[in-house]
Amino acid sequence: MNILKVSRWTIAAFVLPCLLLYVCLVFVPITVSIYSGMLDWNGIGVSKFIGFANYNKMFTNDAIFWPTVGRTLLLAGFSMLVQLPIALFVAILISRYVRRPSFLVSSYFLPVILSVVVIGQLWKTIYNPASMGGMINQLLIKLGLDSWTHSWLTEPKVAIYSIIIVALWQYLGYHILIQFTGIQNIPADIYEAAKIDGAEGFQADRYITLPMIVPIFKISVVLSFIGSLQSFDLIMVMTGGGPAHTTDVISSHMYNMSFLSMKYGYGSAIASFLVVVCLAATMLVNLLFNRLDKRFS
Amino acid sequence: MKKMSRKVMCTVMAGILAVSLSACGSSGNNGNNSKEGASSPKASTPAASKAASKENITITFQNIYPDQTDPKYGMIRKIVAQYEAEHSNVKIELDSLNTDQQKLKLKTQAASKEVPDITIVNPAAQMQPFIDADLFAPLNEMLGKNGLKDTFQEGILDYYTFNDNVYALPDGNNIALIYYNKAMFAQAGVKVPTTFEEMVEVVKQLKAKGIQPMAIGEKDSWTGSFLFMNVLLRTNGGPGFLKDVVDGKKTFEDPAFTEAVDAFQSLVQAGAFQEGATSFDYNAGENLFKTGKAAMYFMGSWATGGIETSSVGEKGEVGVFKFPTVGGKGNPDEFMLAPGSAFAVSKDSKHLDETLDFLNYFMLNYPKEAFAVKGAVGVAQKVDGDFKAAGYSDMAMEVLGMFKGVKGGDLAFDNTMNPGTAQVHLSSIQNLFVAKKDAAEVAKEHQKGYEENKE
Amino acid sequence: MSQSASVTVTKQPVVHVQRSRFSITKALVFIFLGILIITQLYPLIWLLIYSLKTNEEILSGSFFSLPSVWQWSNYSSAIEGGNYWKYLSNSLLVTVVTLTCVILLASLTAFAITRFRWKYGQLVLLVFLLGMMIPIQATLLPLMKIFKGMDILNTHLSLILPYIAFQTPIAVFIMSGFMKTFPQEIEESAVMDGAGVFRIFGNIMLPVSIPPIMTVCILAFISVWNEYILAATFISSEKLKTLPFGVYSFVSQYSVNYGAIGAFLVLGALPVILIYFLLSEKITKGMVAGAVKG
Repeated sequence: MNILKVSRWTIAAFVLPCLLLYVCLVFVPITVSIYSGMLDWNGIGVSKFIGFANYNKMFTNDAIFWPTVGRTLLLAGFSMLVQLPIALFVAILISRYVRRPSFLVSSYFLPVILSVVVIGQLWKTIYNPASMGGMINQLLIKLGLDSWTHSWLTEPKVAIYSIIIVALWQYLGYHILIQFTGIQNIPADIYEAAKIDGAEGFQADRYITLPMIVPIFKISVVLSFIGSLQSFDLIMVMTGGGPAHTTDVISSHMYNMSFLSMKYGYGSAIASFLVVVCLAATMLVNLLFNRLDKRFS
Repeated sequence: MKKMSRKVMCTVMAGILAVSLSACGSSGNNGNNSKEGASSPKASTPAASKAASKENITITFQNIYPDQTDPKYGMIRKIVAQYEAEHSNVKIELDSLNTDQQKLKLKTQAASKEVPDITIVNPAAQMQPFIDADLFAPLNEMLGKNGLKDTFQEGILDYYTFNDNVYALPDGNNIALIYYNKAMFAQAGVKVPTTFEEMVEVVKQLKAKGIQPMAIGEKDSWTGSFLFMNVLLRTNGGPGFLKDVVDGKKTFEDPAFTEAVDAFQSLVQAGAFQEGATSFDYNAGENLFKTGKAAMYFMGSWATGGIETSSVGEKGEVGVFKFPTVGGKGNPDEFMLAPGSAFAVSKDSKHLDETLDFLNYFMLNYPKEAFAVKGAVGVAQKVDGDFKAAGYSDMAMEVLGMFKGVKGGDLAFDNTMNPGTAQVHLSSIQNLFVAKKDAAEVAKEHQKGYEENKE
Repeated sequence: MSQSASVTVTKQPVVHVQRSRFSITKALVFIFLGILIITQLYPLIWLLIYSLKTNEEILSGSFFSLPSVWQWSNYSSAIEGGNYWKYLSNSLLVTVVTLTCVILLASLTAFAITRFRWKYGQLVLLVFLLGMMIPIQATLLPLMKIFKGMDILNTHLSLILPYIAFQTPIAVFIMSGFMKTFPQEIEESAVMDGAGVFRIFGNIMLPVSIPPIMTVCILAFISVWNEYILAATFISSEKLKTLPFGVYSFVSQYSVNYGAIGAFLVLGALPVILIYFLLSEKITKGMVAGAVKG
């Protein structure tokens, strides 16, 4: 239970400036989006109110929509089940073995700093067909595994995984940073107390680091989920959603609809859906972690 | 205490409400509210500008020439500087953006009726939504001044004309053709094909010699569509297929369309295009040709300048040929036509008169300046001058010769159909690069997309 | 959070690094971390080489190759053609103002949510959470209308305001996540010493929150520094444009000057990398020893 009892005025002084700005510039636009989702509107001309027709079409009569949802969740799933555990593992290793961690953590973070344009171009040189000097394919051929070569970014079944790998790689350092910061925040005397009780090394991690990092790990989970749902730039740079929408995700589908197909109303409906999914997922994550929190403590 | 906090809450709520109302209000009724708002500054414009003609004004000129190495970058700045020197009270502010971002910005601005004084739009169907929303000023009267209208090529302005009003002035007028590498053709012992079937054969022979036959940047899906539409222009025996569809005379399930799909697929299946073509963007695709890694390249004539200065172009190895007949149908003198992006003027411009005056000046000087920077292949206006003497390359001369023989043609798909249908089409054609499809299925997909997006 | 009850208030910087003898585990760990460092640093090296190549060399797309002639001219065209200095100063101005506001506003809010006893704390947090998920493209049109109404289009304010608003949710989320983990004895002792709320916030909470603040700083810095969609839409004047405009000023309708883009990206990333390495020093140093002592 929080202990500071303060007047409403104080609360207002702490919360209102931030909340107001946020509500006006973020919350209001979403609300407008939800409303726009009920319009038949190309974004420029006259709009017509059509109720839930866009939403109806989205759920029942859009061959592209559900696959994009599936791919988005796939990306989020990989991120949470593969990327985050690796990041946590690395963060623990660093905090345990490295005496001057700042250079290491910073270096791991570098791909996040570099523009997606660079990352996309770099990975294209890795994925290119062998005739274009693609690294993976050339390597496979040298190893005599010619049959394993693929056109990594253009075969409909493979392309999305190729992109997922890049996304996981690029944001690994991001999560290492967050989780490392979390581990740094665990008071040292807890470890010392544990040492006296005979828990050391990875045993200490098992009983101290893991439970204590739960709240920070939660931040990572939520951020990775949101990042996955908004992943847009990387896909645009690498495949543009192609071939034939096989690498489109919800956000790129929304962009295509709003601005390329000029169905702004329909695009807004997709945007609203995205917001609702994110909200639901965040609440789910919160719920799960509250349980986890309780179990550990 | 309680009372006070309620008061605070009220103020806060009022603030939020005000903002949200203004946002909702303007998004909800684009019809009345904003038109009223828009007409008031316009009403005051003539009076204001007459009263204070020497008042300092700024004209915003949104454009898509941000790159220093693009000849148009220097051109536009030169003409602007000249104009500013002659009109000391006028400042032209250039808002230079890359193409995609400019489209997004203009659409966003259009939604709030904040269109810049001069902006850039694409012809025909792509312009339609802006015209429907009544955002641009008609340019008929301005075209009459200083004989500007006569500088334009015959018929080009039709693509920018709606209800007898010209709404935009194009910066280019191009046709589609096939560039080929003479050295590579000689190496494989093949000749320039005169029919599509020969072209498929040439592809196979090049392939057998280990030469990449064609390059394409199919990540930008319009490139494949552009080629496909040229096939359709032939199988249809002439222009107007899409128009017939819109007029209800034909459907996409017409034999001309399925034949085109089959012919197009025969080219893809022969291995014409590089591996992984759908992940190559326009530039990466074109670069294969420019660096001598592919023997043929289908593109609009705007690519001429870039190819001239590339490594194969400088060796003088590049020739051009017209898109051949398909199944004996069609006329090679009918081309895919690409009227360029065009300058439009905001109807609500605060300085409408000055803006029109500037654009008039700009367009009058355009062909001369373009000629000087060797960018006059494919401008929309008549150009005086001896190209050969001015040092234009043989290839450029060949392209210019082709322009003279143009006997009509079709516009690109997205310039003819509404954006929704165009997106369905683009993705459907892109799919042909990675999967073999039944032509009837492709036709059905198009027809369904068209009907769903019809008004 | 019962485990925190056993924690004593005084703390030491976290150093539970094993200084022990050489071992195979340790060697393996260092090899693993070393490989990781190569894969994560390679892009920077790649970008440096990329920025010195010609267009044709870049587009031929090889994973590792040196330019035949080092194109230093890419840098001069990046600086001139990309208006580097002007855009840089604009970016710095916008970013610094944004970050200052984000840190201040978000830490105040996070403090209130996690340490005050009031009913709506979780609700407020939830409202903020909602905002983390907004796809920025979906807000373009509404924001345009709001800013038109406020008459601040084509000013830096039209960037700073939405940047703050978009960064606060994540900032509040991260800060409150961290602040929740601080033991309550912190305030208990402070309250006993008779410190007011603002003093607890300013003198106690802020100092111990340096690591999360720096984390927020870095994350916000990167997204604001690279933001292009809002900037391109709301800013039209050359003199107000920010760095990402420079990157795209080498992209025209039918050509892209990749080498200059590479050079510009290097120049644009330099300040970030510099600032980042400076800040990360603060993060990894951990909490300041004894800062919580009343």
